[in-house]
Amino acid sequence: MLPRRIYQFLIIYVLGIGLLFVIKLVLNLSDYVIPGPLSVWHTGREEWYRYAADVMDTFGVAVVGQVISIFMAVAVGVAGRKATWFGSFIKVAAYNVQAYPIVAIAPILFILLGDGFVTRLFIAAMICYFPLLLSVIGIMSEPVSDIEHFYRVTGRLRWQLEIKIRAFENLYKLTTVISGSATLAMAGTIVAEFIAANAGIGYSIRIALYQSDLSKILVALFVIGITLSIYQGFLEVLGKGVKKAWTGGGS
Amino acid sequence: MVREKHCFSFLLWLLVVFFVLCWGAGEAIAVEKVAYRLKWLINASTAGDVFALEGGFFSQAELEVEVKAGGPERDAIRELEMGYAQFGVASSDQVIRAVAKGAEVMVLAQLFQINPLQWIYRSDAIVLSQIQDLAGKTVGITYGGNDETIMRALLAIGGLDENKVRLAGVRYDYTAFFQKRIPIWPVYRNTQGIILADKLKTGGEKAGFFNPSQFGVRFVANSVVTSKKLVDKRPELVARFTQALLNGWKAAMEPVNEMDVVLALAKHDRDTPTEIVQRQLAATRKMIQPDPKTPLGKIDTKAWLQTEQIMVQQKLISAPVRILKHLTTGDNEM
Repeated sequence: MLPRRIYQFLIIYVLGIGLLFVIKLVLNLSDYVIPGPLSVWHTGREEWYRYAADVMDTFGVAVVGQVISIFMAVAVGVAGRKATWFGSFIKVAAYNVQAYPIVAIAPILFILLGDGFVTRLFIAAMICYFPLLLSVIGIMSEPVSDIEHFYRVTGRLRWQLEIKIRAFENLYKLTTVISGSATLAMAGTIVAEFIAANAGIGYSIRIALYQSDLSKILVALFVIGITLSIYQGFLEVLGKGVKKAWTGGGS
Repeated sequence: MVREKHCFSFLLWLLVVFFVLCWGAGEAIAVEKVAYRLKWLINASTAGDVFALEGGFFSQAELEVEVKAGGPERDAIRELEMGYAQFGVASSDQVIRAVAKGAEVMVLAQLFQINPLQWIYRSDAIVLSQIQDLAGKTVGITYGGNDETIMRALLAIGGLDENKVRLAGVRYDYTAFFQKRIPIWPVYRNTQGIILADKLKTGGEKAGFFNPSQFGVRFVANSVVTSKKLVDKRPELVARFTQALLNGWKAAMEPVNEMDVVLALAKHDRDTPTEIVQRQLAATRKMIQPDPKTPLGKIDTKAWLQTEQIMVQQKLISAPVRILKHLTTGDNEM
């Protein structure tokens, strides 16, 4: 599964960069517009270590932000799953706030909270919180009638059991949305760093843009992609492990 | 009868000749459409570009010019190569980097004779009369930008080790400057510099400007560029455009046209008050044509060579690019 994720990413990356080189060849563009393969290779050799460190910095922020948002989304989603005033308020607020573009909010947050780790973490958590929250609310507010009915009729359906049943029956959806939120968290953190931070791969990409160095950007995209592919592969393995443990090893 | 027939034939021929001449004249006065990509958003630094359009200088030269605002995500030189623009504005470091990577770009005119990039500071709190005064201070730079290059060149010229100065990255908002965390901040003297100086004055503080050119660093700023292909294939178009543009700049820099220029800029920049734009124009005049004897748009070859040298020293390019070959001036000698 992990090797598959990696070679799938490599195929996409090679196809994308190959397309760029074809465009360069057909339109006879200079290295300033689209760098040549050698230029990208040399830049990769010079910068990969620095960019790997930057990506790990960003990745660390994104993962911590994602974990925080998962806990928050589960807590708020469970609390807001009922068709009460609070439940509908949570849903409406989530729909509205997730529509706000991060490019508009990030500069305000950086002004108020500064350039550091906390602001990037806050943005990473915010980016993936709302989609997670809406998924959790959707899962937790939909009864699994054929299982819950017996417990409900016998008066044994406590809220903890209700949540466990719904989570278990929708485990695949939950792991899919958690895996997807990893990409969101990473993308959101990179965008925030690009706009206003002073660390991370987004910041390095901004510097590369100021220098009009497309080779550096292509190298950065490679390092980001490979890191995310490995992480998503890991999340899939983890999700399967959790499912196996919860089902007691059954299929 | 015969006479009437001859008369009629003659009139018919006259009519034919008349229509042929009109058709030929129509071809001769066909307006040519070109796109002109600026380096940044429209403001006082683009006064001449806008006035060349709004003042009718382009149309007088039978050109229909689409003046496109620039920005951080725009690159005029790339657009020239892709064919999205025929003319553009780029800074010297952009041109030199592009040439180093094989771009066939030609510089037609140098708009700013003095680079407007300077550093603002509170002159009642800090003394900056020489480069050595930067020691121990925190100086803002945009990593990857030309202000970083200029600052490093200044430190090298002043013999000041870079670890004696704390260089701090800046972004678009001025919070760190207002909070005095980064007390020396890069600005464009003729635009942001005026607004920031006013804000300091409101707070009872005095603004000073640290000008690199006073210490011998002449890093060329905005210049008009086009592709070599266009210069070779359509020299008359390039000449028409350049002349019309420089005529527009000349008129824009005349104090007598100030209000017309302000109105022309206001069509594109509705946020800056008129009084501020007027002061920005006054500052811009001093940088576009500091010496009335120097023709507007003159390419300062010595400054270009210095810029190239600075970029080689800072390893921004691996070797000199023979930049003089890319300057359209009669004086391409060292």
